[in-house]
Amino acid sequence: MATDSMVPALAVEGLSKNYGAVQAVRGVDLEVFAGEIVGLVGDNGSGKSTLVRCVAGSQKPDEGTIRINGILQTDSNPHKVRLTGLEVVHQDLSLVDTLDIAANFFLGREKCIEIPGVSPFGFLDYGYMKKFTNQALADLGVNIGSIDRPVGFLSGGQRQMVAVARAITWGESIIILDEPAASLGVEQTKLVLDLVRRLADRNRAVVFISHNMQHVMGVTNRIVVLRLGRKVGDLRTRDTSAREIVELITGSDLGNPV
Amino acid sequence: MNPSPQYRRAVGTLAGLVVIWAIFGALTDTFLTGRNIQNILLQSANVGAVAIGLTVVMIAAEIDLSVGALEAMAGAVTAILLKFLEFPVALAVSMGLGTVVILGALNGLVTWKVRLPSFVATLAMLGVAQGGAFVLTNGRPVNRLPDAFRFIGTGTIGPLNAAVVSTGALFILTHIILTRTRIGRHLFAVGGNAAAAESSGINAGRIKLYALMYSGFTSGVGGLILSARLNAGDGRFGESDLLVAVAAVIIGGTSLFGGVGTMIGTATGVIMVVSIKNGLVLSNVQDFWQRIVIGLLIILAMVVDQVARGERSFLKRRRPGGASI
Repeated sequence: MATDSMVPALAVEGLSKNYGAVQAVRGVDLEVFAGEIVGLVGDNGSGKSTLVRCVAGSQKPDEGTIRINGILQTDSNPHKVRLTGLEVVHQDLSLVDTLDIAANFFLGREKCIEIPGVSPFGFLDYGYMKKFTNQALADLGVNIGSIDRPVGFLSGGQRQMVAVARAITWGESIIILDEPAASLGVEQTKLVLDLVRRLADRNRAVVFISHNMQHVMGVTNRIVVLRLGRKVGDLRTRDTSAREIVELITGSDLGNPV
Repeated sequence: MNPSPQYRRAVGTLAGLVVIWAIFGALTDTFLTGRNIQNILLQSANVGAVAIGLTVVMIAAEIDLSVGALEAMAGAVTAILLKFLEFPVALAVSMGLGTVVILGALNGLVTWKVRLPSFVATLAMLGVAQGGAFVLTNGRPVNRLPDAFRFIGTGTIGPLNAAVVSTGALFILTHIILTRTRIGRHLFAVGGNAAAAESSGINAGRIKLYALMYSGFTSGVGGLILSARLNAGDGRFGESDLLVAVAAVIIGGTSLFGGVGTMIGTATGVIMVVSIKNGLVLSNVQDFWQRIVIGLLIILAMVVDQVARGERSFLKRRRPGGASI
């Protein structure tokens, strides 16, 4: 479990991002420690996705700082951020449908047999990548059959499992999951939630974004609530209730239960 | 990458080629002769080189409409250097190729940095390069080129024509780049899903730049083959090759939407389109009909593709856990 003396794996301070006149994120602070699962919740347009895009390096914040394992991220881009061991599963999954599972697993980090001097032409090590992908999927208990199939031929749930497994495998310190169980069946949802819990046991810092209160309450240690771009709540999961979280999300008092 | 569905598509194209050869073989006495097959290969050499680069660009989900114009430009530059400045062949050829690689890079930079669709960038280049070739040659063919240069188009290496050998080598080299190398893999990733490639740290704009440069290079090779065979540099050269190359690439199974394409498919597509042109000539069909037939062939290939795609997703739904279709 996290202690206050540790350096947070992910530390966001005073982050703001505007799209023209729209203030998507306004001065948000967020700390996530290794071994901790933090739920990030909020209504549509509350700034969750913008916050994640800034952390992932695909958007530049207008104000504020992002530190990963204590190191300030300046002039970041998705490639640099990935090298820090941070992986994001976006809602669109970021899979290339025309490539097979192993190719997607190694997208942008292909294992090659390097020939000195001609590095862009490094020759793909098919055997290694196939073996590694099979092993990684087996380790996670993910069973999706042959990894030679193009991802476009998989079902929605299988595609999601590939994206989640890929992030878990490469995200050595921080993993951000945006609605990881959105299109999954009962069995696969259980598997993903189990995987998320096991990640914390393996000392990863996890940010878990979901609209499903049952999942959020069931899997997180702490919940951060965004409303209209501001942080309006940061609560220990065991000290709060789904009802309180929903009230914070919507900004309306549902009335005090007696 | 799993190539099997793509290669299955190439087998379909190959079957189509066999049917076309059978038809023209039955219609004429001269079509299925060793001499004519050699002719078909020779006629395929320049447009084949052009189609290689076009395939690479289309895999990256872009298009290069300037391929034919770049052929003319490469031939014109080389012819002028050989004829009027008496450059050595190797130097003139390198400068001809270098010119069109730079023009291809301009296509890529306009697409990447100016963020114009490659359709617009390369359409503009079509005008610039074709016009430029006419300006350089003063509107008339620059002919009677040195024999050492003409060897590219008319010489033989063993039993094979030198042009066929060079285009064949280019097909093999490109096949290896596409299927075996990191940059090839990135090309398919960018064409399949540019946003996913970007978020995986692949610079999509740079990959598209490389693709359009490569297309410039292979168009240049096609242009040199053409100029060497016809013994001239001319702004008119390559004018009809855009239509033929696009038809060949699409017939070969390269997706207009990017992320899918093979060299074996494109090679088969080129030979098919050239065979049809050749067969129509031998069947005494008027020249103009060739273009009409090739135009209609593009539509036919697209419809066949859509039917095939629909069938694939249908089978996928039926057998979610089964083997790939």
